[in-house]
Amino acid sequence: MSAIPAFFPKRNRAVVCLCLLLAAIAAMVGLSLARHTPASPGLIPSAFAAHQPSPKLWPISIDYPEDGSIFPPGITPPTILWRDAAGSSWNIDIFFAGKTPPIHIVTGGERIKIPPIDPETVRDTNKPPTLTTEQAAMWTWTPDGPTWAAIQAHSVSAPATLVISGMRDGRTVLSQARSAFTTSPDPVGAPIFYRDVPLMPTPGVNGVVSPLAPNAIHLIHWCLRDIRKPASRVVLKDMPTCANCHSFSADGKTFGMDIDGPANDKGLYAVVPVQKHIAIESKDMVHWNADGAIGKSRVGFMSQVSPDGRYVVSTLAGPTLDLRDSYYVTNFVDYRFLQVFYPTRGILVWYNRATATRNPLPGADDPRYVQTDGVWSHNGKWIVFARAEARDPRQPGQPAALHSNDPNETQIQYDLYRIPFNNGKGGTPERIVGASQNGMSNSFPKVSPDGKWIVFVQAKNGQLMRPDSKLYIVPFDGGVARPMRCNTRLMNSWHSFSPNGRWMVFSSKARSPYTQMYLTHIDENGNDSPPILIDNTTASNRAVNLPEFVNIDPDGIEEIEVHVADQKAIAYARK
Amino acid sequence: MPISKIASHLHHGPRGSRFSGLATFALPFAIAILAPNTLFAAPICVPPPEMKTRLQHAPTADDYSDLGLWFASHEQYDCAADAYAASLQTDPAQKNAPRVIFMFGSSLYLSGDIQEAIPALQEAERNGYKDNRLHLMLAAALDSTHDSAAAEAEWRIALAFDPEITSALDALSTDLLNDANYASVIDLLDNPRVLPQRNPTQCTNLATAYERTGKPDQALEVLRNGLNTSPDSAPIAAQLAALLIRGDQNEQAAAVLDIALSHNPDDPHLHEAFGTVLARLNRMPEARQHLERAIALGDANPEAKDNLAKVLKSLGSNP
Repeated sequence: MSAIPAFFPKRNRAVVCLCLLLAAIAAMVGLSLARHTPASPGLIPSAFAAHQPSPKLWPISIDYPEDGSIFPPGITPPTILWRDAAGSSWNIDIFFAGKTPPIHIVTGGERIKIPPIDPETVRDTNKPPTLTTEQAAMWTWTPDGPTWAAIQAHSVSAPATLVISGMRDGRTVLSQARSAFTTSPDPVGAPIFYRDVPLMPTPGVNGVVSPLAPNAIHLIHWCLRDIRKPASRVVLKDMPTCANCHSFSADGKTFGMDIDGPANDKGLYAVVPVQKHIAIESKDMVHWNADGAIGKSRVGFMSQVSPDGRYVVSTLAGPTLDLRDSYYVTNFVDYRFLQVFYPTRGILVWYNRATATRNPLPGADDPRYVQTDGVWSHNGKWIVFARAEARDPRQPGQPAALHSNDPNETQIQYDLYRIPFNNGKGGTPERIVGASQNGMSNSFPKVSPDGKWIVFVQAKNGQLMRPDSKLYIVPFDGGVARPMRCNTRLMNSWHSFSPNGRWMVFSSKARSPYTQMYLTHIDENGNDSPPILIDNTTASNRAVNLPEFVNIDPDGIEEIEVHVADQKAIAYARK
Repeated sequence: MPISKIASHLHHGPRGSRFSGLATFALPFAIAILAPNTLFAAPICVPPPEMKTRLQHAPTADDYSDLGLWFASHEQYDCAADAYAASLQTDPAQKNAPRVIFMFGSSLYLSGDIQEAIPALQEAERNGYKDNRLHLMLAAALDSTHDSAAAEAEWRIALAFDPEITSALDALSTDLLNDANYASVIDLLDNPRVLPQRNPTQCTNLATAYERTGKPDQALEVLRNGLNTSPDSAPIAAQLAALLIRGDQNEQAAAVLDIALSHNPDDPHLHEAFGTVLARLNRMPEARQHLERAIALGDANPEAKDNLAKVLKSLGSNP
């Protein structure tokens, strides 16, 4: 018993004992699995190299965690998922490098249970979450807290190997698979701020679909999640008006957010200091274009606060255009992909908080192009943005798109560029090789905190919520772009780097139409790891999106209050 | 079928109106075709009492459409088709004509009158009716008449609306496979939105497409993954075993069939296949057991008996 670490839960100690005993007996009778050890000791730690699945055994499909996964330290216990045609009970063994004894569990397997739904967000236009055919066939095992802590503690310096063996009669092993994973020494180090939203498209009287009815806007929540905690904390809800893209300065001291404001004014942006109790008042609102000085449109798009919090960069339609001349927007009643939305004209503008002035950014204000998705480099010296030839959002007689990725969508493919900010004087835009002119649409760039990398989204057309979107990484100076290992099967976007640059959070619909959040580890060479699900971020019939790491303590924001809507709007919204 | 033709359908078509319990159901078309043999041969269409009054006094197109809906909701599709035809005849230019034509066509389809349903559904499509059920129903109807080119077009329209519709994926991939259009099968089924939902039909179709395009490894991967998702699928197991045998991987084929039999212990074909593979592996006593079981379960394949005879011979027994 002395070999068993004290942190094993009591019920596991017995099976660990049994495991060691069986191993000893097997060794005595010459059945040691070590004889199957492949001759690659330098690559595979010998402790678990013995447990390569035999080619004679039926291959189990381990769906989670994928081989090569890297977990952040302290993350809540993951649920292991596998499918197996052969077994009816399973041995789960986790082998560690060195002399750490393996963990051994015998399980009859449990099926996936769909977590509770939010009854307030059920509508005719959406469906309750269901299991896919694959998910319905999956078996699960979730280590308890102490067991997971032990697994994490022993998988930092070298990978742990998960071996699942299927048995038909509780004895004969018929099937097997393995998956190696590690625990990173790099902490995530910051909470994630995200939007938690119902998927309730609503057809209007004239057939025009709204992504969310005005009387349901108050159902949008904004949450903060410490990945070491089992649940998220809602910090903003019951908003009487719509809020969208948000951004925090790199130092975590300034918060900016699109807020529609009184009378559904879509031209407002809030910029406030970050504190435990944030109150957004009318005085905190920036009117993007109240005086028409930089064009007819009032609406800012994808605004981002500079790393030091002094400036905000945004996209406006341009000097002569209004909103309908500059955005392609189509909404559908299919709740799974309910909106297509991207600018076809626009210029970058920047706002100086000190002087309350707004100006176009020279070099990114060319009306021949749409210039959008402007983001700051780590040091605030560059702005990376997406650019394409400007075009009308719709051609006369253009058929309506009936679903996401319908060929009748207005076709636009963006290239990524960078331009020096140069204290607002701008400069000459430089095309980013690897993220441009590749037959795809390159959008939504984010610069890593060390300034070495740009992670962006690639899709066939447009940007935002594209079913085929994939994350790519390219050097900041341009080069060869690589598809990221963390990409899931379906929709990968809305990514954000952790302040230490070692983690990235993003959204995906891989497991459910109700979008979920995932993490990936990124090393100094830009290599990333398979996706790690952040569990329990919302009800199973709500989506989470726009995740953003915030450089604050996990409890650095407790509440956000918005006092910019009038009582009439509040009453209407709650009606 | 133009609206006017649909409206006159009951005058000249093969169908008869079978409304009863309406003493003053004074529809010209009903009187015109109310033949005794029709009355006796077909089910009686009895409207609900609450609708009788409306139908007795100058019924409108909407009244007939409501009646059609009532019959359809009671799964009396023959009667529903008649009612929708009456609606269209009463007012061919009614505002909801595309929908009523669709309801007419779908009632015909659900009543089993596929030949008449197709032109009606096509007319609804031409009139701009937008509902994915239209494309699904029309595609299924066209498939059943072996007009696979037209059916494929309708399946594709349905899948453009919703790429995850199982019936459309099953039928379209089968049609494409029959057309030897393997690349299109792969495009259709090796798709991120389809993968987590793939059922046994889609798995076997995709694997066949991979195998016939010279990619047996992809076929194996699809089938193995598919069997882990659908462990009780005998078709997936059988196709996987066959592929493994063709690749001279008899041990693995035996393992697959052993798994399949654990889920389908009374499937004669799996027993036969298992017995045959075991014989290839020279495991004759087990081979005999499974071949005998296959025959006992009703396997009529003469090869089962031939193989059993060979096994018995090798065991030194008489058949």
